[in-house]
Parts: sequence; C-alpha cells; structure tokens
Amino acid sequence: MSSETYLEPADSRPSPADRLHIAGLDRSLPMDGAVLSVRDLNVRFNTENGLVHAVRGVDFDLMPGKTLGIVGESGSGKSVTSLAIMGLLPTTADVSGSVMLKGKELLGLNDKAMCAYRGNDIAMVFQDPLSSLTPVYTVGAQITEALTIHNPTMSKQAKEARAVELLSMVGIPSPKDRLRAFPHEFSGGMRQRVMIAIAIANNPRVLVADEPTTALDVTIQAQVLEVLHTAQEETGAAVVMITHDLGVVAGMADDIMVMYAGKPVETGGVDDIYYNPRMPYTMGLLGAVPRVDVAEKASLVPIEGIPPNLVRTPTGCSFAPRCPLVSEACLNGEPALAPVPGGALHRAACIKSASLGADVDVHEVFSAPPRPESRFDLIPREERRAVLQLKDVRKHFPLTKGALLKRRIGTVKAVDGLSFDIREGECFSIVGESGSGKTTTLLEIMEFHSDQDGEVVIGGISNKDAADAKTKSAMRKELQMVFQDPTGALDPRFTVYEVLAEPLQNAGLAKPAIRKRIMELMELVGLQPDHVNRFPNQFSGGQRQRVGIARALAVNPRLVVLDEPVSALDVSVQAGVINLLDKLRAELGLSYLLVAHDLSVVRHISNRVAVMYLGKIVEIGEVDRVFDNPRHPYTRALLSAIPVPDPHLERTRERIILQGDLPSPLEAPKGCNFATRCPVFAALPAAKKEQCLTLEPPLEYDPPSAAAQALEAGPVPAPDQQFACFFPDGELDEDMLVVHETADHDAP
Amino acid sequence: MTNLNAVDAAAVAEEAHLQNADVVIGKSTIIFRRFMRNKTAVAGLVVFLGLTVFSFVGGFFTPWDKETIDPFNIAMPPSGEHFLGTSQAGIDLYAMTVEGTRISILIGLIVGLVSVLIAAVYGCTMAYFGGKVDKVMLFVLEALIMMPALLVVAVATSGGGAGLKRDLPSWLLLIIVLLVFSWMGTARLIRSLSMSLMQRDYVKAAQYMGVPPRRIVWRHLVPNIGSLLVLDITRGVTGAVLAEVAFSFIGIGIKVPDVSLGVLIGSATSQVQTFPWMFWVPLTVMFLLTGSLAMMNDGLRDAFDPSSSSIGSARKNSAKKKQA
Amino acid sequence: MLKYLAKRGITYVFMIFLTTSAGYFLAVTSLKPALLEQERIPRPTPEQVANSMRLKGLDPGLSPWERYVDWLTGIVTRWDWGRSPNGAYINAEFGDRVWISTRLFLGAIILTLVIGVALGVYSAARQYKYQDRIITSYSYLAYIVPAPIAYFLVQLGAINVNETVGERIFFVTGISTPGMEPGWPQFVDMLAHYAVPTIAITLVGWGSYQIAQRQYLLDNVNADFVRTARAKGLTRNQAITRHALRVSFIPVAQSIAFTIPAIFAGGFFAEKIFAWPGVGSWSIDAISLQDVNAATATLAYGSVIFALGAILADFATTLVDPRVRVQ
Repeated sequence: MSSETYLEPADSRPSPADRLHIAGLDRSLPMDGAVLSVRDLNVRFNTENGLVHAVRGVDFDLMPGKTLGIVGESGSGKSVTSLAIMGLLPTTADVSGSVMLKGKELLGLNDKAMCAYRGNDIAMVFQDPLSSLTPVYTVGAQITEALTIHNPTMSKQAKEARAVELLSMVGIPSPKDRLRAFPHEFSGGMRQRVMIAIAIANNPRVLVADEPTTALDVTIQAQVLEVLHTAQEETGAAVVMITHDLGVVAGMADDIMVMYAGKPVETGGVDDIYYNPRMPYTMGLLGAVPRVDVAEKASLVPIEGIPPNLVRTPTGCSFAPRCPLVSEACLNGEPALAPVPGGALHRAACIKSASLGADVDVHEVFSAPPRPESRFDLIPREERRAVLQLKDVRKHFPLTKGALLKRRIGTVKAVDGLSFDIREGECFSIVGESGSGKTTTLLEIMEFHSDQDGEVVIGGISNKDAADAKTKSAMRKELQMVFQDPTGALDPRFTVYEVLAEPLQNAGLAKPAIRKRIMELMELVGLQPDHVNRFPNQFSGGQRQRVGIARALAVNPRLVVLDEPVSALDVSVQAGVINLLDKLRAELGLSYLLVAHDLSVVRHISNRVAVMYLGKIVEIGEVDRVFDNPRHPYTRALLSAIPVPDPHLERTRERIILQGDLPSPLEAPKGCNFATRCPVFAALPAAKKEQCLTLEPPLEYDPPSAAAQALEAGPVPAPDQQFACFFPDGELDEDMLVVHETADHDAP
Repeated sequence: MTNLNAVDAAAVAEEAHLQNADVVIGKSTIIFRRFMRNKTAVAGLVVFLGLTVFSFVGGFFTPWDKETIDPFNIAMPPSGEHFLGTSQAGIDLYAMTVEGTRISILIGLIVGLVSVLIAAVYGCTMAYFGGKVDKVMLFVLEALIMMPALLVVAVATSGGGAGLKRDLPSWLLLIIVLLVFSWMGTARLIRSLSMSLMQRDYVKAAQYMGVPPRRIVWRHLVPNIGSLLVLDITRGVTGAVLAEVAFSFIGIGIKVPDVSLGVLIGSATSQVQTFPWMFWVPLTVMFLLTGSLAMMNDGLRDAFDPSSSSIGSARKNSAKKKQA
Repeated sequence: MLKYLAKRGITYVFMIFLTTSAGYFLAVTSLKPALLEQERIPRPTPEQVANSMRLKGLDPGLSPWERYVDWLTGIVTRWDWGRSPNGAYINAEFGDRVWISTRLFLGAIILTLVIGVALGVYSAARQYKYQDRIITSYSYLAYIVPAPIAYFLVQLGAINVNETVGERIFFVTGISTPGMEPGWPQFVDMLAHYAVPTIAITLVGWGSYQIAQRQYLLDNVNADFVRTARAKGLTRNQAITRHALRVSFIPVAQSIAFTIPAIFAGGFFAEKIFAWPGVGSWSIDAISLQDVNAATATLAYGSVIFALGAILADFATTLVDPRVRVQ
C-alpha cells in the first residue's frame, strides 16, 4: 500500500512502536534477523492500455530457514512479486519500495550489481522445467556455470565434484554419468530436480520457488516437494513458495500470504489462514478446493466473476465485485491489511474480518448451491442401463528403432485389456499419472475404429458395427466430448453462436430450431444468452469451458467424455465448473467419463473410479470405497501424494514417495507392471517377490474373509471394489515413507 | 497450467473496452482496420493500385505506342513529345514503360495467385491424406525444388525447335514455367500448418461430432490458413515480378518483341552511361512495384499477427512475464 | 548418425538421378543442335550435319529414349558425360568451370553467412534502435532488388570508382589478366578480379540471413532458459550471448540447405554479368548453343549442389542441436 496512492484507514491505532515491531507490523523497519524483508513493493507495467499496477504494496519478512507461502490465482501478482525480488523483470517495469536481503537493499541495483546476489544469496526455481533449461548445453555444464559465476577460482575438479554432489542431493541416480546428459534426456520431474540443484548450488540464504510443481504429476510433485524440503534442510535457506494450490503449501509453509489483484489480502501463520480465515476471498479459496481425504458431498464454493482489471485503480475493496458479503462500506476506499482480533501476526484486508473466522460456514457465506441429486441415484446401479461398455480394449504401438531398416524392438502397450462399463446417470473416472494410458483410452472410445482390438459398445451399438456413416452418427449422438484446454477447443474464428451451431447443423436442425436450442444451452451452462455473438477470446477461461460444455450438450448426448475439464482453470473458477457439471448430471441424467489427474476433483464428482497404471486398471470400484480404503499399493501411493489443504494433517501424515518416473514400456516386468516402483514389493521377502515378478495379478474382488462369511451365514455380496495385487495392505518399504518432524512448526 | 486463464492485463482492458462499447467486430474488420492503420502498408497499396491503373490507362495519354518508330527522334532524352524519351530504335519509352509495367504486373499477379492456389490444394491434400500419399507427394515436391528453375526457364524459352515457343507469346511461356517452379515452398508450409491444425482440439471436436471431413476442411482448415495464403499471395507476386525482371535482364525470360520491365532494363544496360534515362526509368518503376508489394506484405503480416502490438482485440494467450 | 547421413545420401542420389533424367529429356526434345549447324557458312548438307552429329554421339535420328540410354550408359560405364556440338568433351570442360565457380562462390558464401549472422545478432541486440532500423531496412531493400540488377549496379559503382580514381583498381569482368607474373603481382590481380563479384554477391545475399538471425534471436531473448541463466547470476547480456545465441543458431543452420543452392543459382547471374566462365554462364551458353549434354550436366551439377547443401544442413543441425543427435 503505497501511501501516496491510498489513504491509510483511520483506525491504525497508535501503539508503542516496539510492540508493533515485535509483532512484525511496523512496516518501516525490517524485522530483526529477517533474511529477506520486502516493504511496500509496487510494480507497474506500461502497456498500450495504460499503466497496469500489477503488484500493489507487498510487505513481508522472511526469517532464516522459514518458509513463506504466497498463494493466489493467475493475475494476482504473485509471480511478478517474485521476479521483482530477483530483479528479473523487464526494464520497462517500474518497481518501487524496498527489498532488503540480509540488510542490503536490492531494489535499484543495476543488472550487474544484482548478479552478485542472484544465484548466490538468493536463487530461484521456475515453473516450467521443460523450457527452463538451455537445450543445447549438458546438465553438468549448466550446474557448473552457476558455480563458476560466483566462485571463479574454484578448480574444475572441485566444480565437478560439487555438481555430482548436488545431483545426488536432489535424487538423480548415477549422477556422475548424468552430468553429461542433455536436458531433453530427462523427464519433467528430473529436470525440475536439476533446476533445484542449480538453485542451491551456492547455498543460497533465500530460495524462491515459483509454482515449482504445477506442471508435474502428483507422484512427481510429491518427489519434488520432498527434494525441496531436503534442499531447505541441507542449505538452511529460507523459502518463498509461490503457488495457486493451497494443498501444496499447507505442509511446508510457516507463514502464508494470500494475494488478490496485486495486493496481499490476508497474511498470517499457516494455521491462522487455514483454520481461521478472516477474509472472504481466502475463505472462498479454501471452500473451492475439493478434498481428497473426505467424502464430503456438499457443493464446492464458487467465486463468481473475474479478477479486476489492474489498469484502473480500485476505489473500494478489489474483491468487492465478487464478494458475497459486500456492503456499501466496502466500496468506500480499499481496506488496509489490519491485524485481526486475537491474532498478533494474523492480518486481513477486510472491514468485516472481525465477524469472520473459524466458526463461519463458508458454504453459507457464498451461498453454495445444495448438491443436486440425479433421479438415477435412487435406482440401484445394476438396474440401470449401460451407456458405455469396454470389453478387453487394447491399443499397442510398435516401438521401432533403426534408420534404414526399421526393427521392431518392442511394443508400447498404451492400453492393455481394459474392461469397464458406465451406467446411466453415473460419473466414472479414470485416474493415473501421465503415460498411464488415460488419454489413449479416450481416443479409442472416441474414434470408433471397426478394427479395434477389443470392443467398445456405445448405447448398445458396438464399434464393430460402426462401418457405415449412419451407425456412426447414431453413436456420435450418444456421446460427446469436453476438452482440457478450453481455448484450443474453440475455433478462434467462430463466434459462440457458430461454435454451438456446428453440432446442431450437423444434426440437420432447421435455423429457428438451432437458434432456440442455442439460447437454451447458453442458459443451461450459466452464460448470458446475449453473448452469443462474441468470439472465444472475449471470454475468460471458465466461460470458455462452459461454451465447450454447451457444445457437448447440444445434441443431447447420454454420455459426456470429460478430458481434464478443469485442470486448466483457476481454483475459484474450477469450483463453478465442477458445480455446473454436477448440476447437469443431475438435471439431465447424464453420465460422465472423466479423466483427471486431480484426485480431489475425481473424488468430489465421481461415483466410481478406475486407477490406471501402464495401460492396465489396477484398482476399480466405488469412489469412496477406493479412496478411503485403497488396496493396491499404487492407489495408496497416489492418494498419499495428494497434498491436502489441512496443515495439521499434512505435517503428521505418512507419505509414500514413489521412486523414479513411470518406467519405459520396455522395462516393464513380466509379472506385475508396478513391481519396479512398488513400496510393498520392496519390502517383500524374496520368495514372495518372485510371484510379483513372474505372474500378472488379476483384477479381482477381495474375497470376504471366512469370519465375515460365517457371521453373515450365507454369501456376502462383494463390495464394489476390485484390485490387481497379490499383497494388498502389505507392509510398506521404510525408504519410501516420509513423515516430517513437525514439532518446530507449532512453536511460534 | 493456470496460465491459461491468466488474464492478460491488456486483453482485460480490451475486453472492458469492448464491453463498454458493446460492439462485436468481426475478425476481418479488425484485420482491415489494422492494415489501414499501418501507414506504410496503405502507402504500398496506393502505389501498387496507382501503378496498376497507370499500366492500363497510361497508354491513352500519348499518341505513341510500343511498336511505332519515330524516325525523327532516335535515342532522345525526355521531351514534350516523348515524355520519357525514345529508345535507340526510336520507340517511345513512355509507351513501352506502360506496356512493360502491365506485362510485369500481369505476370506477377497470375503467378502469385495461381501458385498459391496450386500450393493450397497440394499442401492440403498432403496433410489430409497423410501416410503414403504424403510421402510420394513430398518426394515429388522436393525433387522439383532440386531442379534449378533457371535452367528450365532458359531451355523452355530458348528451345530452338520447341513448338511451344511458336504458339505462345514469351510472357505466357514464362508464366507457365514460373508457375511450375514457384509453389513448392508455400505448399510445404501449408502442409505443415494444416497438419498441426488437424491436431487442434476444435478440429477433433468437429470430428467427434461427426462433421464430414469436407466440411471440416472448408470451415476450420481453410479460414485458419487464410492469413498465410493472403501473405503468400503478396509474397508470390513480388517473387514473380522479381524473377521476370531477373530472367529477362540476362536475356532468357521475355524476348523482344514482347516488352516487360526486365526487358527494358536489360536492353538499356549497355548504354547506361550515354542514355541513362533508358535504364533508370524502368528501374524506378520496378522499384515502385516491388517496394509497394513488400510494404503491403509487411502491413498484412502485422495485421494478421495475433500477437501484434497493433491495437486490436486478438488476445495474446501465451504466458507472459507480467502474468502472475 | 553416419547411418542417417548415408540414408539421406541415398535418397538424394535417387533424386538427382530423377531430376537429371527429366532434365535430359527436356533438353533432348527442345534443343536441336542440328539447326544451328545448318546456319553455318558454307551451309552444310543435311547429311553432313547428321554425320558430324552422329560422330559426337548426338545423332538427331535416334529417338529421345535411345539417346537417353546411350548417354546414361556412357556415364555409368565410363563416367563420360558426352560431347558438345562443337566436339568438345563435357568432362574436360566441366572440371575447369566447376573450379572457377567454386572459387568465386566459396568466399562469397562464407562472407554472406558470417556478415548476415553477425549483423542479425547486432541488430537484435539493438532492437528498434537506429542501427537496427538501418540494417534491417537494408535487408528488406536487398529483397526487392533482383540479383542481376544489383550485381549490375555494383559493377557500375566499381566502374565509377575506377573512373574517379583515374586508374583501374577493380576489374569488373573476367577472372584474371593473362600473362601476370606469378607471386605478388598475380595475387593483386586476383584480388582486383575477385573483389567486385564477391562484394556484389555478398551485398545481395546477407539480407535474408540478417533478418532470420535477428528474428530467431529475438524469439529466444525472453525464453525461460535465459531467465534461468540470469537467475544464476549472469547479466542479461551474458545470458543472451551464452544461452540464447547458441539456441538461435539452430534454425539458421537448418536454412543453410537453401542458401548454398540459392547462391549458386544467383551464380548464373553473377557469372553472366561479371563474365566469369563458370558453370552458370556455361549452362546458359549451352542452351543458346543447343548443347544438350552440357545443359544436362550443369543441371545435374545444380542438383548435386542442392543435395550437398541439404546434407550439410543436416550435419550442421546435428552439430548445434543435441536434441537431434540421439537416434
């Protein structure tokens, strides 16, 4: 809050300066011992549309060895803040305020002077590991470069030894050989480890991590977070962790700063923020995230609207247009970040913060709609019609090598014997890491090959019969698809009207009927009907996804295939789309086939779930049963890798960290595919290991125990859960388990 | 992943602007406006149109034509009677320039348009069928690229006994040969662009809706490579004009009695010291022609570029630094 | 890698064979050397002409296919590319002319590449400053001038220089002055002959490289990996020169494939205008002299140069881009 732009609210009571100082509230002086102190940081960009005030008055102190989480959605200014601290913003950016590193002012230093600090005292890990390493240099060269810059006298051998040490510290196997590898020879997770190795090369005091795990799979995310944790322990660096995912920082951070529209709107200790939020935006964010660990079937909290345009200086609270609690007073001047009653270090920028807190129900505040019920929910599953059936579907790609004469060196079993069915009104989800065959499965369903290995039955018609166009179009009418990237899925040259008209014209509807149907659809997905003449680029991401959903629904399909429908959306927008999907399923009696990597979303929305690993289903069943009582070690690992927005739980729970990446299809063992990474397998005695390596575990129901059978006196209906593992609930290998010691976290 | 709905501040501002004005402008309107805002491009367009009009009506302003010999004025500098002087044969240079400009523009336009058409059909066919068809067609294309076009031009236009030469005027022959050798680069570009378009989700969406392939090509592919086609037409026209001048200049393109800018420039080289106007006048016209085309091309490229800094509603979605 | 190059090589040999054959048929059907013979004075009888042609393996009485088979057999079995209507052997003539062309273009190609890339880097570093504007405008200007006219203008300029100085500093035509003493005088003479054509070709050629290199570098200046390099502690300029520059060479290396043949194609014009008896001017002369075998040989030469360029580009790409090295 730069004082020249904003009026300080009148309620800043005069208190003894030293008390404020201790409380970290005296904004003029850095806190004693803080390794990084940011005061009144403002960033402005000059654009054609005017001055964009991207960061507006960020203050924080970072104590040595501590972790600060900066949470916010895209456009909130969190990345700009980090780049401003690093001095990496383009020269056209106007940065003001103060950034003190170990008591030295960094702002205003020229590029050259700043270089003494960058990569030395303060280092950074970026979001996209795939593009953040120079493709033409070896990994070793890129690590040694970081060493050379700050230690010009270091000998070549010493540098190489240090590089090897760094690589092994971040968990890269056979580091000595990997030094000579190029970035493209590493997977995304491995490249992010290299990035971390580069960042910690010179033992920085401050490590800034900007969404370091966003682009990665959950299992890899867990690994990388673990590496970051190790790196922090090894170097004793303080960490600024920037993320949009409240789960990621829950277990790591000591303090949290929530940003909105370029401004911190709530700051405090991690427990304060998660358990006692005092700002409606924070409350909304927490309520918008589904939980993977609880079977809550309430709706998510949607935050309507889009973040404000930072070209205009807000005259009131910047969250007011989206806030359910907005009142006249909120529009009158932007509220300052003020201490909330009862928490010395907890501050919120809301005039109503006193009346909010732990005991306020966020669902009530945001008037989250009640969770709709489908008419099919009351009918037992067995009595419902199947809308989609897969029978032993396979998709194998030959893997060839050699330039002149192509030799077949193996087969990639992208999908290997998949069978499941989806009944009316249910949502069936497929989860797994990238490379597990989820997407290939969708393609096999959508493409209607008549020469398919296996069979896909859609609405009673098999793809084996889908030779003529008429049968095909009958099948097409039964199922439609919603894509992951709402921008790519809409032709930029089509207006929304044209987008929605395409399937209708194709179905042979007359013009007036098309117009009527389009208006219906717009209403159905919660878009304003008079926006039909706009182009996709005039909508926000969430609205675009709604257009995509409307297009899928145009021809009244029975089954909608959802390919990662919300993964490209911001948390607050995501909740609205999930609620919409829930509502549509109930109102229209739709079935969904959902592919998602976010298990929390899956748990929230689906009835049944299948876990895939290397082309096979390893566990399938009713979603609460599978998630609450996972039997397959892979399911257990996946679930434990998901961070939960609950700091206490995050700190204390045991986590399974799978080793390495998804193996290459060539390395898959003869028996169980998962054996190479299996935490149970690792702990098995050699005799039992043999079984895993030679026999393929079938996908079976858990045989009810003899005792249970005796008790019921008769055949017990097996619960809806099948898995493919010889040793469910086996002991886990100690090396793959991680629990963080957390005693120090609770201390002030 | 969140970058997708990272709202670019500039785009948001634009959106707000659009909301306030409550007008929805079509893409072509935006492109037209951007083009018109680009002063260089508009100047190029004006010069090009001016030259075209000149080449068609310029002949009416002089009593002389490109064949009549004025025996009293041989190799004369510009005068009231002969605006641009006369050649050594006593032919009015102004009349020849008008005629030459027309032939050059004609060659440029025909070659530019038709070669892009051939390229579009060829490229789309390759991308659409893929597989073996693509391989064979690509081989043919590369083999054609390997042929030194110039030699073939030379053979075709100077082949002594070639029947072609007798039946066709040399400018038409040149057009045909230039056409054969000018479409390959564009075709290859269109192929790769179409292939990437075929992978787009909106094309997949249309396929999954059961939209017939012909319709997908027409509704989704063609409009999306449209900007490339328009750009390649202007580039192709420039290229053809340049090729004509170059070939005629060294005497293997258009042959006397046909006139073109290249012929005029080429035949004047030997007396450039003594009769400079004979050389510089057609050369200036050629510069105006190619220069104006290049300026238009530049303006069009800016107008089509969605990330162009020119103010318009096309929104930049790429992750930029200013997004958080 | 070698395997890959070998595979490409075989493909190109096949392509060269096809284009050369196609060229032969085009030439053999449209070029009629006998017609020129008949214009001699004293006019020979048709029998005499046919006889002399038959002796040189240019029998007009045979069908194109028969002549093609003869010609091909000659090449495959004896590496004999046939004879000209005046009786000269193609092989002998060819060697001299290839040497002349190569001498002329090698220097020009290297200069073009080096100057183009260097100016591209320089102008990218000074984007939108006046240096950039001047350099880039020049490149666009070079694009709208047909090569032979540009050469001619350079030639005019050189003549003007000579006239102004009042002494022959540059030779604007020919490759050497006959009868020069070996050693220093010969070297000076060579320079005086080479200077003008080399300058002309370079001046016209570098523009496209400058524009391409500038664009590719600018595309990479804000790349994520440059930001990483800066975060390590490199200044912006260091990060650009050490990281962005190297990556921006990759597409430029690929485009070499099209330069080398382009410069050789431009070579037709250059040799014609500067009167260098190289392959280019030979090919044009061959056509006006209705010389089927010479025309085909030059066409084959053009194809070979193209293939060499393409293979060289592959090689250069592998050199600068480790991503294509594996497999």
